[in-house]
Formats: sequence, C-alpha cells, structure tokens
Amino acid sequence: MADIVLSNVHKVYGHVVAVTDINLAIKDREFVVLVGPSGCGKSTTLRMIAGLEEISAGTIAIGGRVVNHLQPKDRDIAMVFQNYALYRHMSVRDNLAFGLRNRRVPAHEIAAAVSRAARILSIEPLLDRRPHQLSGGQQQRVALGRCIVRNPKVFLFDEPLSNLDAQLRAQMRLELKELRLRVPTTSIFVTHDQTEAMTLGDRIVVMKDGVVQQVGTPLELYRKPANRFVASFIGSPSMNFITVRVSADGEHFALACQGWRFRLPARRFPHLGSHVGRSICVGVRPQHVRLGAALNDDQIALNGAVTVTEQLGDEQLLAVRLGDGEIRIAGVDPDLSLPTGSQIEAAIATDHLHFFDELEQI
Amino acid sequence: MDIAAVPARSAGFFFALAPRGRAVFFALAAIAACLLFAFPVFWLILTSLRPGTGVYYVHRGTEFTIDNFHEVLSQEIVLRALFNSFMISTLATVLSLGVTATSGYMLSRFKGPIPNAWFSLIYIFRCVPYVAWVLPLYFVTQQLNIFDSYWGLLLPHIAVHICFFSWIMKGFFDGIDPSMEYAAMIDGCSRWGAFWRVAMPAAVPGLTALAILCWLYTWNEFLFALILTAHETPILTVVMAQFVHELGMEWHLMSATAVIALVPALIVTLFGQRYVIRGLRI
Repeated sequence: MADIVLSNVHKVYGHVVAVTDINLAIKDREFVVLVGPSGCGKSTTLRMIAGLEEISAGTIAIGGRVVNHLQPKDRDIAMVFQNYALYRHMSVRDNLAFGLRNRRVPAHEIAAAVSRAARILSIEPLLDRRPHQLSGGQQQRVALGRCIVRNPKVFLFDEPLSNLDAQLRAQMRLELKELRLRVPTTSIFVTHDQTEAMTLGDRIVVMKDGVVQQVGTPLELYRKPANRFVASFIGSPSMNFITVRVSADGEHFALACQGWRFRLPARRFPHLGSHVGRSICVGVRPQHVRLGAALNDDQIALNGAVTVTEQLGDEQLLAVRLGDGEIRIAGVDPDLSLPTGSQIEAAIATDHLHFFDELEQI
Repeated sequence: MDIAAVPARSAGFFFALAPRGRAVFFALAAIAACLLFAFPVFWLILTSLRPGTGVYYVHRGTEFTIDNFHEVLSQEIVLRALFNSFMISTLATVLSLGVTATSGYMLSRFKGPIPNAWFSLIYIFRCVPYVAWVLPLYFVTQQLNIFDSYWGLLLPHIAVHICFFSWIMKGFFDGIDPSMEYAAMIDGCSRWGAFWRVAMPAAVPGLTALAILCWLYTWNEFLFALILTAHETPILTVVMAQFVHELGMEWHLMSATAVIALVPALIVTLFGQRYVIRGLRI
C-alpha cells in the first residue's frame, strides 16, 4: 500500500507540451480517476507514473520514494491496458504467474497466488486456455488477475473497459467496484467516459490540453464544476449553456438573451455585481429543468417550442428552442405526448444555476 | 462521351456473370496461372529423365533413364556444392534473422537519431542496384582474404538480407501490440527481456516466414556465388551453370542437378507454406 505524489510534473515531446505542471496527492488505498477527452494527457500521466514515459520535469513519488529514474519493474506497480496486453503465446496460468516468476517467487507460492487470483475473478476454468480462446470480458479479467496476483503497491488502469461493449462494460464496472472491496489498493484509473469516472472514483481529476481542470469527489465535480469545461464534461446529458448579458435592475440583476429574460435577487447573487454590463454564461443541467410554471420567486420561468424528443423508456429527453439557442430537458414523463413544435413552459430553481465567465465558475 | 462509363463497360462482362460463373472464371484463371508456372518445371523433370541425345526432342522421344542422376551424384563437385549451398543457406538464414529481428524491432519501436540513421542507411543500400554490389564485394573479399570461403559469401548475403528483410521484420513487429512488452516491463522484465521473452515469441510466425524466404533466396542465389567463389567453395547454382562449357551443353546433366536442387527447396516450401502465409498476413 502506498500514497502517490506528483509534484510539478511536465511532459514535453519535442515542441509539443503533453502535460503541464500536474500537482496531485493520492492517498493510500484511494481510487482516483483521470478523465478527459482524447489527447488531454491523462494516459501520458499514467504512463509517467508507470515509468513507461520519461518525465520532462517534476517528481513522482510512490510510497514516499521518488521513482523518476526507476525502471517500471522496480516501482512495484501493476497495470491493466486498454487492449488487455495478455502474453498471447502463454496460457492464462502462465500469464498470471509471469510477474511472480520474474521475481523468483517459489513455485508453491506462485501456484497459491494464481489460484487465489483466479478464484477472486472466477477464471479458474480458464487457466489452461490461451488468450485468443477467451472473450473480451474474460481477457479483461485475466488482465486484472495479472495485477492482483503480485499484490503491488499501486494499480494503474489505462482505459481498461473501452474495448468492451456497453453491457459488458457496465458489468465490469460493478466487478471492479467489488474487486476494490476485496483488494483495497491505491489505484489510478484513466478513462474518457465520465460515467466510469463518476461511478468508480473516490476522487476525479478532470484534464484538458495537458492541464488539470479540477480535482474533487464525483459530487463536488457535479455540483460545483470549476469551469465550463468541467461542467460540460461531467454529467449526462451535458449541461445547457446560455450566454446572457447582465444588467442592474434595482435590487435585482437582469440576465437576458434573445428570447429569454429573467431576474435574480442581488443579495443572493452578489458575485454577479462585478459582471454588470458584460456577457456571462449561465449553465443549467437538463435534470434541473422542470416542466411546468414557476411556483415561486426562487424559480425562473422559460417558454419555448419543442424541437426534438428522445424516448428512453424511463424518461424523455426534450430539446426546446430558446431564442436563437436550444435548451435540453431531462427526466420528462415518458408518457407525456409532446409533438415537435408544441409550446411548453418550464422552470429552473435558481439554486441550480451555474455562472461562468471565460475562465471559471463565477 | 461519358468518361465514367468506360471502366464500367469494360468490367461489365465480369459483373454480368452469376456468382457460380465468377467462381468458374476464377478457377480457370488460377489453373491457367498454375500451368504457366508448372510447365517449365515439368519440362525440366522430363529433360532430366532423357538421355543426352534425346534432350532436343523431349516431346517426341520415349526413351527415359535415371542415369543422369547417377552421373551427377557421382561427381564430387556436385556433392560438395550441395553441402556448401545447404550450409551457406542455413548459416545465412540463422545469422541474418538474428540481426534482422533486432533491426526490425528497433525500427518498429524506437524513435530518435540512431533508428533514423539506421533507417536511412538501409534505405540507401536498398536503392543500390543488386548487381552494383558485386564488383566492390569481390575486391573487399579479396582484401580480407575471405574470397572463395564461407565467410566471403555469408557476409554479403547477410548484408543484403538485413537491408531487405529488416523492413519486413519491422512490419511484423508493427503488428504486435507494444502494450504486451510494456506489461512485461511492469511484470519484472528489462527492455531487452521484454523483447526476448514477449515480442520474439509473438513474432514466431513472422520469423518462420522470413527464415523460409531467407533460406530459399540464398539457396537460389547465383550472382554472388558466381563472382565470390571459385574451386574451394563450389555452390550448386554455379556448378549447374558449368554444365554449359566449351565442349558443349549438357542439358540433361544440368536438368538432373536442377531437379536435385529443387528437392530441398520444395521440402522447405511445403513445410513453410502455411507459416509464410500466416506470417505475411500479420
């Protein structure tokens, strides 16, 4: 077991900056998810921790020991790769035993460790098969087994569920959570899927263009996104953004865009004062827009025409024309008939509004 | 005239065929191609079984004999040439594979000035016409005192194989997921260990295909053998050519030697066919 500390870590390939100034402290037994779009530097960061990429600047410490110049084999880590990376010329049993044999562990201990890992992951009947004889899910279990069999200080996961179909991915997510309870080891999990990040992580690190945007628990990221990028990346469907102009209106601030205008009490939103006369971005999650009229002063109303409906069975998703933009509404009663073009009235609790300037949440 | 209609019209005959008709068309085309390649071999075997006086009217004669085989196999130079060709082909294959495997791996996995320089070097050597190598190699082998010896023939062969087969080997390694080697490095291997214990076993189909191509190439090679060897190290392809001499042309003996030379090549090809197909498919 070990904590991991990244201090001012940079990675540069020639003139291309892949990762900029990452500072991150991961506690012992914590499960941290690095999430972001393709090319954001999350996999590069993971590979630097694994020792598969050299660090251009900064330090990485595992269990209090700086590992910058240690070979991957000397870092006491295990890693699961996106495409499983099983040794295709070896049986499952040999795949699991490979790491222990390299460390000259006695044969009876290897056999016991392999059996234990196989039992935990329910792959005992597969031990004598070759990787190409296994399904994607089975291969992923073997890859996990290869990790846990060595009992390393740290688990690293590089998009391990990306190659699985949606159903299997959901199942493997559950299995990973169960595995965490049985083998509570410090873990870093890289994914571009925000659902995986939200469901698996104790904490989530959101990255974009090689820069950490926000670090926090799933709920912190969902409820208090640091900037517009995090707000749009976390949550499904994605947050609605409407650009409005702020003006002072007595004891209120008036926010207006084409086709929509609402007022917010100045005493409750004092931070908007510094943006009077400027444009800001209002964000609201589709789940926080409710069909129906505003019930009190803490809700703001909007009207618009339905442009698209998406039936999901347990709910409907609506896209509603609002001025020259569009707003999406989730959680609509699936039995409600809303033909395209029909006018609807909706309300948003002001508590659920987020305000962003160009850089961050106001 | 509608330009786009031209290819459609020319291919129309084929697409107008029913699926069964297309299969028959392909089968006939394949048989024709096979006959085209098989006919010279058939003629060669026929010639090798004819007496010396009958080789010019192979298609008419009815007299057949295996004396040609007895005669060539009783000549010491043919036996020595068989042995030398076998040894040179085998040694060149083993030594070339050792270098091309590491060279191909480097080209596939590493970036930087050294791989780039190596890449450029073998590219330049590939551009040099094959025949242009021969004269300089003759002088080099003379200077190094390895003319008409195993090394005198092996080293040029290995050099050519490195230039030509490093590319193919690079292709094999490109087809092997490098994550497997990363996993091995995390599992306790060094970079070299990951190459040796994980990448090389995964490349076995490719290596086998390359070994077969390498062996056949050396076995059939004529130009280097002609220029870089003399009486001490007779090579089969050269010995075969020597049946054409100032006193006449002994086609029957040449054909018999060629048929004998075909046998190992045929065995290697039949044994390795599936590996070659599997290896080149990676």
